[in-house]
Amino acid sequence: MTKILLVEDIPDNVELVRKALSGRGYEIVHSPDAETGLSLALEHVPDLILLDLGLPDYDGQTLAGWLRAEPVLDSTPIVAVTAWPEETAKKMVESYGFDGYICKPIIKVGEFLAKVDSYLKAP
Amino acid sequence: MSPVESNTAVKLIPVSDFTDEQLAAIYNQTRVDYLVPMPMNAARLGEYISTYDVSREHSLVAQTDDGEMLGVNMLGLRPDRAWITRLGVIPNTRRHGVGQLLMESLMRNAEDLSVHFFMLEVIKHNTPAHQLFLKLGFYEVGELLVLRRSPLTHAVDPVVADARRLERHDALTLVGWDRGTQPWTNQSESLANAFEVSGLYLTLADGSRGWLVYQRQKFLLTRFAFKTEAGDPATVAYALLSHLHNQYPRLDTQVENIQINDPHLPGFYRMGYVEAFRRIEMWHGTPPPTLQK
Repeated sequence: MTKILLVEDIPDNVELVRKALSGRGYEIVHSPDAETGLSLALEHVPDLILLDLGLPDYDGQTLAGWLRAEPVLDSTPIVAVTAWPEETAKKMVESYGFDGYICKPIIKVGEFLAKVDSYLKAP
Repeated sequence: MSPVESNTAVKLIPVSDFTDEQLAAIYNQTRVDYLVPMPMNAARLGEYISTYDVSREHSLVAQTDDGEMLGVNMLGLRPDRAWITRLGVIPNTRRHGVGQLLMESLMRNAEDLSVHFFMLEVIKHNTPAHQLFLKLGFYEVGELLVLRRSPLTHAVDPVVADARRLERHDALTLVGWDRGTQPWTNQSESLANAFEVSGLYLTLADGSRGWLVYQRQKFLLTRFAFKTEAGDPATVAYALLSHLHNQYPRLDTQVENIQINDPHLPGFYRMGYVEAFRRIEMWHGTPPPTLQK
């Protein structure tokens, strides 16, 4: 089963994403903060990591930096999920080795799912 | 939660009545839709409070009579100056005057302690907050940058120089105690209160020299103070940063509140720093003579 790690601290967002992705048959592993996110990523080696940039202990960029330094996660796409202005999101994505970003709030679930699918299928 | 009715009484309660867990929960609720998300867990908030001399007794949480949370505002206090920070109102209770009430109450708390000079920073493009501060008599004094450098940035060799590591005591001695009108996060007390502070002192072959003091957290370098004592600031900054990042290649870096006209900035950009966002620095009142050394 395709496994997705969701690192997100806002319960409403977690619920929304979990509901959308579970309907697709994906297994969701959730972390509410960066340090737990790192542990879960190493434990599960997911197929995709959806990473909120604003987290309560360290931010998503810092976590992305650690994740990218882990050889076991070399082939795991990391996607920023962020409410930052698009221009800032693009800069952070480029600097921190993300594979892309999804803007919050997630309003159109269909579009969100299509993006998730595209990151999972990307070579 | 329902929006605040205009006739609803608002209670202001000192932050000291709340645990850090409760306070973090309130604060995070105020920021769910914020321009730049900056949630905090209890540990991070507790560190923030102690590092920045936030007075729990003089900081306030707003809630309705029946206990519904509305917002929070925090007051930092240092000799002859006060700092207003983390003002936030829970989204669906905004536009009912809670932010203004929190601001005015905090300023009164400081004035009761004979502090009449206030500092704050507001994120650029946060128009409602900016307008509120202008309405309350704050004026703009500068624009500040928040910079990031990813650990994935290309590795650099350290610039050839006579390099000396500074332990905490020596680092804080160089920082000194005359930074009272700098942004609050970069004042001497902020570094003196922080853990794991150390520094670098470099003398380059051409006689240029300068120092950099920083905090090393588990995964992050932050809280920079720096000075060029001789030579070109951009060159000295690049040399200092080359040594720092060579020493800590796996650490992420965040540098807050550098003035946009700081002459060291070209050295930061050359080292791979990127701008994350900007803040507007605002004051209320005039810095007292004790801060104008």
